[in-house]
Amino acid sequence: MQLKPQKKKSSSFTIIIGCGKLGASIADKISDSGGDVLILDKDKDAFRRLSPHYGGMSVVGDALDLDKLKEIGMQKAATLLVVTNDDNTNNMVAQLAVHLFSVKRVIARVVDRDKEGIFNSKGIQTFCPVSLSQERIGQLLSADDPVVDQIVDTEGEDNR
Amino acid sequence: MKKSIVIVGGHKKAIILAKSILRKGYEVIVINESYEDCLSLYEIPGISVVQGDGTKPYVLEDANIRNVDIAIALTPNDEDNLMICQLCKTQFSVKKTVAVVSDPKKIEFFYAMGIDRAVCTISTVTSIIEQQAFITDITNIIPIQGGNIQIVEVCIDGYSPAVDKQLWEIDLPSEVIIGCILRGDEALVPRGNSRISMGDTLVLIAGQQQEIPAIKALAGR
Repeated sequence: MQLKPQKKKSSSFTIIIGCGKLGASIADKISDSGGDVLILDKDKDAFRRLSPHYGGMSVVGDALDLDKLKEIGMQKAATLLVVTNDDNTNNMVAQLAVHLFSVKRVIARVVDRDKEGIFNSKGIQTFCPVSLSQERIGQLLSADDPVVDQIVDTEGEDNR
Repeated sequence: MKKSIVIVGGHKKAIILAKSILRKGYEVIVINESYEDCLSLYEIPGISVVQGDGTKPYVLEDANIRNVDIAIALTPNDEDNLMICQLCKTQFSVKKTVAVVSDPKKIEFFYAMGIDRAVCTISTVTSIIEQQAFITDITNIIPIQGGNIQIVEVCIDGYSPAVDKQLWEIDLPSEVIIGCILRGDEALVPRGNSRISMGDTLVLIAGQQQEIPAIKALAGR
């Protein structure tokens, strides 16, 4: 565990569970902007994904272990971001945070869209990579529409 | 209409539980991820088997569990059992959900999250092992009211301090009463002047963890 003096009050304390590509990049971003952040992962090698300039805390441990959650100060977190690669783990950690640690804002990644309702019903905000990708692809396709139309139009004119 | 039960996950436990519930006249659906387990479950006549991950809504949909009476989640992972029970309850209107929980510290959390029954196998099994290992004279301890009250059988042999004594002479904790004396085929209702004989079995009702001092006073161990 690397400790660094806190730059801000603990009221802005953010905890991130899961140091994958997404977790690490968000942690870096918060740290760069001077925020107070802690990232937890059960695999110590996962922290390699953090930038060398990362100034927050990184802790090795299991997010489903209540003692671990107490140890990292979950009760002081203003925001929790849960982004492990397992939906069921994300669900349980998020619900523990809401129910036992009264964390105000809990955001979780849900891969299986059909499970989002379970999270939402317990006051957990969610995002789903498939839905986001779909949205973006939709935007890209609709942005291309005029061009497609033009081509069709030109073809139409040529045929005339 | 027959009551129906769905069992999700669990290896040997699922098989033994499925058989036992089937004998009680329920309709049994089993969902299991392992192909081998599904094969052995499939050999039990009368149960429906679905292979797949029971934490996935579409697998539960395939198993046709809507309005099932009881769902039992037996996987070794607490997070999976929580998801199974919550899906069953909210998306499939299952009436009662039961989860096996490995971490005893999470029992209350499971109840708070809407699970109807949380069973901690580890603490149940270890407490039975402890009983069996340390108290050989007891043939049976039955916990009721979640373990607040224990019904205990104590066998009296020739070396027991209570042998040949009248009940009023024995110094029992006040939270314990002797409910019955079993002598041969007879069951005697004890009075203060009842005398305990060698070979008797006493049935105690004990509260507030006082069963061990009571057993010491009666059987000497």
